[in-house]
Amino acid sequence: MILQHYLKEVKKGDVSIKKTVKAILREAKTLNKKHHCFNIISEDLALSQAEKQEKEPKGRLAGLPISIKDCICVKDVESRAGSEILKDYVPPFNATVVKKLVDEGAIIIGKTSQDEFGFGSFSTNTDNIPKNPLDTERSCGGSSGGSACFTQLTKHPHASISESTGGSIANPASFCGISGLTPTYGLVSRYGLIDYANSLDKIGIMSKTTEELSPIFDVIKGHDKKDSTSLDISSNSNNEVKKIAIIKEAFEIDPKIKDIILSNLEDYDVISLPLTKKYAIPTYYLIAMAEASTNLAKYCGLRYGSTLPLKGSFNQFFSEVRSKYFTKEAKRRIILGTFARMAGFRDAYYLKAMKTRTLIINEYKKAFKKYDVLISPTMPILSPKFSEIKKLSPLENYQMDTLTTGPNIAGLPHLSVPTNSIGKLPVGTLLISNHLEEDKLLNFGRKIEEK
Amino acid sequence: MKIGIEIHVQLNTKSKVFCSCTTQSSEEPNTNVCEICGGFPGSKPVLNKETLQQGIKVALALNSKIASETFFSRKSYFYPDMTKNFQITQYETPFSINGKLDNIRIKRIHLEEDPGALIHKGSTCLIDYNRAGIPLIEIVTEPDFKSPNEVRLFLRKLITILEYLEVYTRKSEATMKADANISTTGEKVEIKNITGLKEIERALNYEATKQKETPAKKQETLGWNSDKGITYLMRTKETEDDYGYIYDPDLVKIEIPKELVSKLKSQIPELSLDKSSRFKKQYKLNKEDAEVLASEQKLAEIFEKVAEKIDPDLAAKWLIRDLLKIINYNKTTINEIKLEVKHLIELLGLFQQGKITDKTVKDLLIELIKEPFSPKEYIKKHNLEIISDSGNLEKLCKEAIKEQPKAVKDYKEGNEKSIYFLTGQVMRKSKGTANPKEVEKILKKLIR
Repeated sequence: MILQHYLKEVKKGDVSIKKTVKAILREAKTLNKKHHCFNIISEDLALSQAEKQEKEPKGRLAGLPISIKDCICVKDVESRAGSEILKDYVPPFNATVVKKLVDEGAIIIGKTSQDEFGFGSFSTNTDNIPKNPLDTERSCGGSSGGSACFTQLTKHPHASISESTGGSIANPASFCGISGLTPTYGLVSRYGLIDYANSLDKIGIMSKTTEELSPIFDVIKGHDKKDSTSLDISSNSNNEVKKIAIIKEAFEIDPKIKDIILSNLEDYDVISLPLTKKYAIPTYYLIAMAEASTNLAKYCGLRYGSTLPLKGSFNQFFSEVRSKYFTKEAKRRIILGTFARMAGFRDAYYLKAMKTRTLIINEYKKAFKKYDVLISPTMPILSPKFSEIKKLSPLENYQMDTLTTGPNIAGLPHLSVPTNSIGKLPVGTLLISNHLEEDKLLNFGRKIEEK
Repeated sequence: MKIGIEIHVQLNTKSKVFCSCTTQSSEEPNTNVCEICGGFPGSKPVLNKETLQQGIKVALALNSKIASETFFSRKSYFYPDMTKNFQITQYETPFSINGKLDNIRIKRIHLEEDPGALIHKGSTCLIDYNRAGIPLIEIVTEPDFKSPNEVRLFLRKLITILEYLEVYTRKSEATMKADANISTTGEKVEIKNITGLKEIERALNYEATKQKETPAKKQETLGWNSDKGITYLMRTKETEDDYGYIYDPDLVKIEIPKELVSKLKSQIPELSLDKSSRFKKQYKLNKEDAEVLASEQKLAEIFEKVAEKIDPDLAAKWLIRDLLKIINYNKTTINEIKLEVKHLIELLGLFQQGKITDKTVKDLLIELIKEPFSPKEYIKKHNLEIISDSGNLEKLCKEAIKEQPKAVKDYKEGNEKSIYFLTGQVMRKSKGTANPKEVEKILKKLIR
């Protein structure tokens, strides 16, 4: 049932919110056993919200079940960003997006599984690894793996709020065969988002189809004075897509994936983005890790989250807590990120990456003078098996983000649209537009889906 | 000897620098803490613009250049008093550089957040985060001081400026801290985190004396033990501290428009230096008196109002010689006393007209700082006006002569001092309202 249809039925009083919510909670629990898509199912909260909405449906999303990526704070519900170090951490406040959704009548059904703090491309850097909806031997992608997994599997009206730093919405959307929108940086408030890399983090939406993204997008976007980086302008309502181009370098991949994507397109130019190809990955990882290493400093067992008995000097105590509860990938990013910003190295790494980011933005900006939408595959490969992922080196792992890091470091809105499958494994097409032109993406995405 | 200092001053804005928690101190620990200053996951800082505006005013008063745009950075280090294990401060882009106060160059002034406070109790250590997020400005000077005394004078002057700007309230010693660099003929040593103006002076004096006798051979970082009054070695410095600064990605670039700077400039009151030279000229005061009167804004304000009605010289003398002494004696401050200017004018007016004595003025001042009342009415009620009616005075003198025959005899035999004794007797009879010179004259006339 398409989401908009459900919302209309709720308005008419033709459907029971309580029944729908109970059914989706039951489904979530069953699916979670096999697919591990939730870190926590917020049954009590969902039922109490459903009770309220059933009596008096209120708001643009009245009665709509929504799952939330674990890194986005939901008041009184454990929010641990897929980490062990934040185990049992219950935020005393709602993230702005959560507040907006609840104010519009949405029902929060749970927190979806993810790579710890978003550190990963396969949702394997965590204690609760989601399994691909189409083949449990394979990854859901990451870091918003749980969100994508449940969005694909559910038979009920639903959307998931997820988050992307370097591709964490588009990647799992592609691997799980759903639609995932990452809006312009700053368009959706980050207040209450447990930070990975603040200058890159963007909250977005996943749903089965592109069309279903719109009503959620309308609710969550907009200025928030609690987030200094929140934009005080609205997105452009012009959705007319006149000219498109495919990104030349992005198609130097598996020809089968290339053919599927190109077969859905007509009248396109080819554009080259050499700087993005060359620098997007190192720029992304330098900035993201430098910021992440400062964000993770606060987790030291002193004020919240996992801890150990107080012993030794504060330095010893902090080290023990952090050694015990961070995953290997988190430790790797802390060490690399700290190195990149150390005196003597920060000029060569951190500051240079900041400058390179401007070059990449300018390269895209130039392309958007001519084109409305740029197109590439979302992922260079199909969803890999867990056994294959284990063999990847960290660097090979990071290379998986080669197509998604570009728009992410430029803060550009992008949409991954499900585009046929190879065997049972879905392929995603990545559409990128200029800042604040989400409507062009949504419009064009719908057209591709129709094919 | 060369000394350079970094001074951290707590600004007195109503709310903290990146959240809306109050800056008022609280007896209860960890009560003025929210998700933001508490560094909870997901919370984000938003700059309290008032803090930057106060900072700009200070920078302007210190003749500094104001940046057209400014950023915040994260200074990373692990310490239990830090809620995020990084401090939001300014690194590459402070809001102000290149200032000067007298002959001391000011390198930079920047804005940052105060960490929480560690409270050591026996073998345990408690943490109070009420202070976390209180706005601080850090003023960094070049090593232009040649002695601890110069530092002391500079800091006094600085505090006066801050108080004039109404950006600083000296609630406790903890509202001002400093790090100081000293070098004599040896290596540079740094004394970290000295709390309070008095301690800064003490620590510098101690270390300056030590360095003169035995100049440091290595770069050292020292701590200051205020109980023992000595510095102690924290670490020898081999490399610069590495705080791994990055731009704080939660805070955006802040533009400081020229219009804002000129608006803030227009809000800066006449500062003490300008004020004292004006006082000197306008009221023909000597340099010392002018400086004392201009050193505190409230005092200067009282003086100027009084000087409109009363002879400025007289007003200055009464304020400096008597009022300040009475205030000190009562352990209060000029800002706390209840004295109303109109009453002071009334009082000094009566004195200027010769209607009351010196002693009456003093007695009434002591009362007037405690509660306001009209001196005129009080004097009338208690018959404190000088008895200028010579008939009445003569009567009192005759009484005294009659009562003290020995003193009269002594005077007649050439003991000049006896006349003062007799005068004192008359003064007592008049309850201090008689003019002693007049009394003496009458007595001499009567005895002769």
